[in-house]
Amino acid sequence: MSTIAQGSIILRPHKIGATVAILLVGAAALAVGFALPLILQSKIAMSLFAQALFDALLATSVGFLFLQNGRISFGQAAFSGLGGYAFGILVARGLVGSEVALLIALLLPTLVAFLLGLVIARVSGVAHAMLTLAVGQAFYEVAFRWRELAKGDDGMSFDLPARIFGLSSRGLQDPAFMVALAWSILVVVLVALALFARSRIGMVTAAIRDNEERARFLGYSTTLPRALVYALAAFIAAIAGILQASYNGYIAPQVFHWTVSGYALIMAILGGAKFIVGPAVGAVALFYVKELAGQVAEYWPAIVGGALVLVTLTMPQGIIGVLRLLWLRRVRQ
Amino acid sequence: MTQVALEGVGLTRQFGGFVALDGVNIALKRGEIRGLIGPNGAGKSTLIDVLSGRAKNRRGRVMLNGEDVSELSPQQRRKRGMARSFQRTNIFPELTVGQQLRVASWAVADPDIAEVMNELNLAALADRSAGDISYGDQRRLDLALALVGRPQVLLLDEPAAGLTVEESLALARTLRDLVNRWNVTVLLVEHDMQVVFAICDRLTVLHLGRFLSEGSCAEIRADPTVVAAYLGTQA
Amino acid sequence: MLIQVLNGVVYGALLYLLAVGLVLIFGLREVVNFAHGALFMVGAYIGFSVAAAGYWWGGLLVSVVAMGAIGGMLDAAVFRTLREQDPMVTVLVTFGLLLILETVVTAIWGKAYLRYPMPAILSGTVTIAGSPFPVYRLFVIAVSIVVAISLSAWLRFTRVGLYIRAASTDARVAAIQGINVDRLSLIVVGLGTALAGLSGVVAGPLLTLSPTMGSYILIDSFIVVVIGGLGSFAGAFVAALLIGQIHNFGAIYLPWAATILPFLLMVAILIWRPTGLAGSRA
Repeated sequence: MSTIAQGSIILRPHKIGATVAILLVGAAALAVGFALPLILQSKIAMSLFAQALFDALLATSVGFLFLQNGRISFGQAAFSGLGGYAFGILVARGLVGSEVALLIALLLPTLVAFLLGLVIARVSGVAHAMLTLAVGQAFYEVAFRWRELAKGDDGMSFDLPARIFGLSSRGLQDPAFMVALAWSILVVVLVALALFARSRIGMVTAAIRDNEERARFLGYSTTLPRALVYALAAFIAAIAGILQASYNGYIAPQVFHWTVSGYALIMAILGGAKFIVGPAVGAVALFYVKELAGQVAEYWPAIVGGALVLVTLTMPQGIIGVLRLLWLRRVRQ
Repeated sequence: MTQVALEGVGLTRQFGGFVALDGVNIALKRGEIRGLIGPNGAGKSTLIDVLSGRAKNRRGRVMLNGEDVSELSPQQRRKRGMARSFQRTNIFPELTVGQQLRVASWAVADPDIAEVMNELNLAALADRSAGDISYGDQRRLDLALALVGRPQVLLLDEPAAGLTVEESLALARTLRDLVNRWNVTVLLVEHDMQVVFAICDRLTVLHLGRFLSEGSCAEIRADPTVVAAYLGTQA
Repeated sequence: MLIQVLNGVVYGALLYLLAVGLVLIFGLREVVNFAHGALFMVGAYIGFSVAAAGYWWGGLLVSVVAMGAIGGMLDAAVFRTLREQDPMVTVLVTFGLLLILETVVTAIWGKAYLRYPMPAILSGTVTIAGSPFPVYRLFVIAVSIVVAISLSAWLRFTRVGLYIRAASTDARVAAIQGINVDRLSLIVVGLGTALAGLSGVVAGPLLTLSPTMGSYILIDSFIVVVIGGLGSFAGAFVAALLIGQIHNFGAIYLPWAATILPFLLMVAILIWRPTGLAGSRA
């Protein structure tokens, strides 16, 4: 029932008004980002929230793929992991300048996803789920075994380059700075996705998602647009991976594990994958529930699994969807 | 521009042992509105599918404006001016009416969609989600998607399916107007004979996958073989 | 060399038992059970509990029966309830179940690796082509062959088998013809899950038990099932043998090829048949 143009905005504005509204909301959100270190106060709280933001970015990647391509991926961690690994390895070996390393770390997963997207454009549903699961694990297994690359399953720590884009890189491992940075990036990404959804290419991909056959009969080639969405989703995942690798100064095969992909998917569903902010909300919510779970954390996978079953069966529109429904009901009264 | 806008030569389609179409020939002159009729199972929808590029496992040739498009995909055929509508409504349920018509227009170099929207009474529904509107509105939307961009050749598969008598005739009139204004060549599959006789110039009759007869509406009405086919056919 | 091939066949045999379960379930319910690997793992643990008390064969029996029952419950509670919905809903729900099952097992048996005992009768070795080869591994291969033959015979020659084949081809038509698809599903899903349990018990002494042992083999069995064609038992058999060989040879000679090759094959098959699913379903 939700039209994609409504995206993260609950109102039904008109054309240019909507774009301005999106930008204004985005600007306001950015401003909040700078206040975050003050709100969070302790370094631990900031560090935790930074981690939640990394999760939010990966979840957004998964959600975006579902939103614009109608495809559920169980292997998005392949791209975040690839981004993190590329950055970490290039930096550790000093092969290229830090800016170039960043660029490669962003573009490599994007390119891989684009090519993969071309190939699997016609694969949907259950087969797609199985395939993406296998992709993620294939990356995991390779990273696990390839000791020369990054010490295999031991994982590899690396030092950040001294400067990046002329600025000192130490901020990247400072909780306050990283929180503000990650938040800002998340906001920019969400705004960009909202604008994408309203753009021509966004609507064309939405149409292809809705009814691929009819889209063809309208004159569209459907493979390229789909591949583009795969590429964009991977780009976002890569950002998450790079931020995380930089913050921790460490990469390990675990970043490719299917549980990472699976949890990101669950976060997206929990928050509401049909809404652009949904996955991010789901990620933060899940992250903090886990923190609060404390002792119960022993049984965390079961809790997440149970939440997935519950949400899938009873509120598939996710948290944002439910909030929207409640809001609409209030408006009608 | 050639006189023959659309031509099918020796079109055959079979799957498994079942022959849905058997060596059908058809040729439409530019601007003609041809009705395609026949009892159930005659192969009418199959012919549309083959002509529009939807069907695999087919033999024969399809010529559009004199060009052989037999091997071309539906996308490529649309770019060359062939559009179609669908018997089972084939729209974009999560886009609004306005959005999907715009999407349709971008594929054919951005003509104005207002005309199509107004002619088919969809203007008031522009911001409604296509999945939420009535069946009749969805049928008109299905047709509108095919009309955007003023295609040269239009293949319509039971556009009035499921519509009331009034809706069907209104649709027929609108269609006739638009088509004559734009000089579109139309092949129309329809069960509703009132619609057929209201807009078609000539009729082609299929029976059991084969060509049976062709002629003006009056000729076909009087053709005994056609009458027999309709009365005598079981399935 | 022959020994290497045989080792590959052993892994292939385990994969086949799992793949068969997936194919059975997909054939009737049109869904892929993402919890199948977890069920394999649960079967192994259940068998282990009995086997550790000294009854290896008892463990096998209890596990197979218990898993069969669990499969039946799964069908009734999940697959039947969700059959009108998009198959992805079932995938997500079974994925959630996977996580729940892993936690339950961890809670009961702990995370530590456990060693599954080997039955005395089967713990010897046999000389094949001049090298010793564990009898137990031959047993694994034998089990898989017996299952393959029995299953084929059952499907081909019994009435229930006929109903299953009919319902797998077109459940709606089968239902119209009076076949109780739901009752059939109960049997089929129960059987498929029992086979997962069997695979788990039989794999027990070969692998170490851990709550995560199901996930890796699940992905391999998905690959088998996609390559072999989701509707095809014969395809699953051949694909399982193939993946078993790749897995084994790869582990020795080219570790990466072992990981990448099955995945590449899967992609290749999905490109060639983009619906992904060959065999009796288009």
